[in-house]
Amino acid sequence: MSDMITEEGVSRRSVLKGTVAGAGALAVGGLVGAGTASSADAAGVKKVSVGSNNSDPAPRKNDIAWVAAAKTAGFDVKLNIVDHNTFQNQINSYLQGTPDDIFTWFAGYRMQFFAKKGLATSISDVWKKISPNFSAGYKNASTGLDGKQYFIPTTWYPWAIMYRKSVFAAAGVDPKTIVTWADFINACKTFQSKGITPVALGDKGGWEAMGTFDFINFRTNGFKFHMDLTAGRAKWTDPRVQKTFANWATMFPYQNNNVLDLAWDGAAQLVLQKKAAMQVMGAFHASIYTDPADLADLALFAFPEITAAYGREAVEAPIDGYMLSKHASKNLANAKALAEFIASDKFGKAVLKVAPTSLFANNKMPKPTDPFARSQVDLVNGCKYIAQFFDRDSRPDFAGTIFQSALQKFLGGGDPKAIATDLQAQWDALPPA
Amino acid sequence: MTSSTTTKTAAAEVTPRRRRRGHSFTKTDRAVLAGLVGGPTLLHVLLVWIPAFCTVALSFTYWDGIGGLNQIHWVGLKNYQQIFTIYQDFRPAVRNNVLWLGFFALIATPLGVILAYYIDKELKGTKFFQTAFYLPMVLSLAVTGIVWDYIFRTNGFVNSIMGDTSAQTATSWFGDPNKNIWIVLLIASWRHIGYVMLLYLAGMKSVDPSLHEAAAIDGATAWYTFRKVIFPSLRPVNVIIIVITVIDSLRAFDLVYIINRGRNGLQLLGVLVYDNIFGEATRIGWGSALATILFALSIVPIMLYLYQTFKRDN
Repeated sequence: MSDMITEEGVSRRSVLKGTVAGAGALAVGGLVGAGTASSADAAGVKKVSVGSNNSDPAPRKNDIAWVAAAKTAGFDVKLNIVDHNTFQNQINSYLQGTPDDIFTWFAGYRMQFFAKKGLATSISDVWKKISPNFSAGYKNASTGLDGKQYFIPTTWYPWAIMYRKSVFAAAGVDPKTIVTWADFINACKTFQSKGITPVALGDKGGWEAMGTFDFINFRTNGFKFHMDLTAGRAKWTDPRVQKTFANWATMFPYQNNNVLDLAWDGAAQLVLQKKAAMQVMGAFHASIYTDPADLADLALFAFPEITAAYGREAVEAPIDGYMLSKHASKNLANAKALAEFIASDKFGKAVLKVAPTSLFANNKMPKPTDPFARSQVDLVNGCKYIAQFFDRDSRPDFAGTIFQSALQKFLGGGDPKAIATDLQAQWDALPPA
Repeated sequence: MTSSTTTKTAAAEVTPRRRRRGHSFTKTDRAVLAGLVGGPTLLHVLLVWIPAFCTVALSFTYWDGIGGLNQIHWVGLKNYQQIFTIYQDFRPAVRNNVLWLGFFALIATPLGVILAYYIDKELKGTKFFQTAFYLPMVLSLAVTGIVWDYIFRTNGFVNSIMGDTSAQTATSWFGDPNKNIWIVLLIASWRHIGYVMLLYLAGMKSVDPSLHEAAAIDGATAWYTFRKVIFPSLRPVNVIIIVITVIDSLRAFDLVYIINRGRNGLQLLGVLVYDNIFGEATRIGWGSALATILFALSIVPIMLYLYQTFKRDN
């Protein structure tokens, strides 16, 4: 896929994987000492601290697995896992305080932003050693605005329409026949008539529906317009935005009624429980499937085409990875050594053991054998453009508060014209970036 | 004894005599006084007044919180002007804060007082009711959130009774921006009533029983006694309860944040301040302007009330 990542396509990234559903979302930050032996003083052991936002059960396992592998490679890694949303929200103060040497982050605009603000340590010298492991697209995705590298890409995942094969078979719908928007709406009607909610959507966290917005927007108006819009080069008052909202509104009759009371995993549960047929979601949709039989039943297909001229040429595929904080300069040799480890296939092989469907940026990793993982690679390989995700393609002070609130208003039945006008006014009021 | 050789113990023995003679203080007295008064004052200024002043000052700036003070740009009243005109979450937040205050002041707090009145009558099972009404205050907010989520979620208790738990057709209590604020006010009142009841009960227990007797001898009914005798004699408690009601309504935050991060119908000024200052957005100036507005909103009713109360005292 990486060859496909154009400079433009990669600009930014991804997704808050986990709002804890319902109560208790308020941040139980936790420290997980991941089995670090007290042999820290032994000769040759390299001590490094790592801050992680992988607080959901599945990614937490990945962290623990690779940290254990790093230990056998001579590292003493102090792993601090913090609740995902808390980590996300406090990233500015975290990076300005005494952050860990290495921290989890995303490729793209926000990485470049921290690099520009001097909160990250450049690892261009590490990249000289590791670049054979990655194709040029990933190097672009790891490069700051100053041309230096600041990021080690590890895994990626695409967004698509997730569904259960058995549910489609029972309703007599063949996903291969869903190409155009009309096909899609017809399939929705079929599911509706069988008493199944056609599309499950949860937007309680505020970010989830951005994925649907992105798809409908670049399917309707093309990838270039979408990237212009997220970057503020195009206006929200542009009539093309209204087309996006209008197309989206045609989906509303086929959605669950409690969109704003479900987080992404609540909506994913509806698909898992066969109460809903489809969810527009990242491939981490699979992480709530605990039974292997259910997992084998899970599949995906590309978001349908809307404007024929743009076909299905674009996809969202955020890249996750690691950065070195400014603080790492106090422990530079060890931190860079660990960055090199993370960029090696040792990292990938450790993660692969606990998460066999992961997709790695590292080209030394074996091609995935799992059919669901392979379908993700195929999906992205068939695309010309790759977006990261709205909240990584746009300004955080716009995406984080203003846009999320506007989307919720739209999903709650708000007037799209007024919403678009308000969005532009609020964008214009932002301080110069 | 001479002041030059004063020790702490000597000073303690000597002070009363000196004070009787002419209200003059020894050096030690002054040092102790300065320490006792100055220390807290210094802390107060440092921890309350300086940050408050900085917040107001920052509300006239743009700042993303990264880098030194030279990154701060003065923009005058622009933040305020934009918050009042174009910030879409501002009006719902003010509306919800005012609604919260009105609901507490007119419904929840009076209910708490009435409960206290009945429980004070030592009816049968008083202890049980007292505990039951106070119980919500004991539960942590996380537990509160989970309990009420089970009641009002799409496939929860209320919808089960109403006979529709389908994700596609059932009422979404927390998801509908026109309904969810009322559910939240219900939950908040559920906690607040018990709190007010307990405070008031404590106050009523301290009322001199002879007042009751005197009123009874004069032929007053229990309710009349409460209104005309007990209630006015509890003025200090009333002040506390009114201040608590106002402050609790305006600083409301945790409950809505647990439910849906204070969005989609549950906006509150406190949440907007938090989201803009501490969230990923880090619009420090914008958030400070919101905080200043919230501060003004909180301080005005309380100042007015306290002024009224203490003017009457004099």
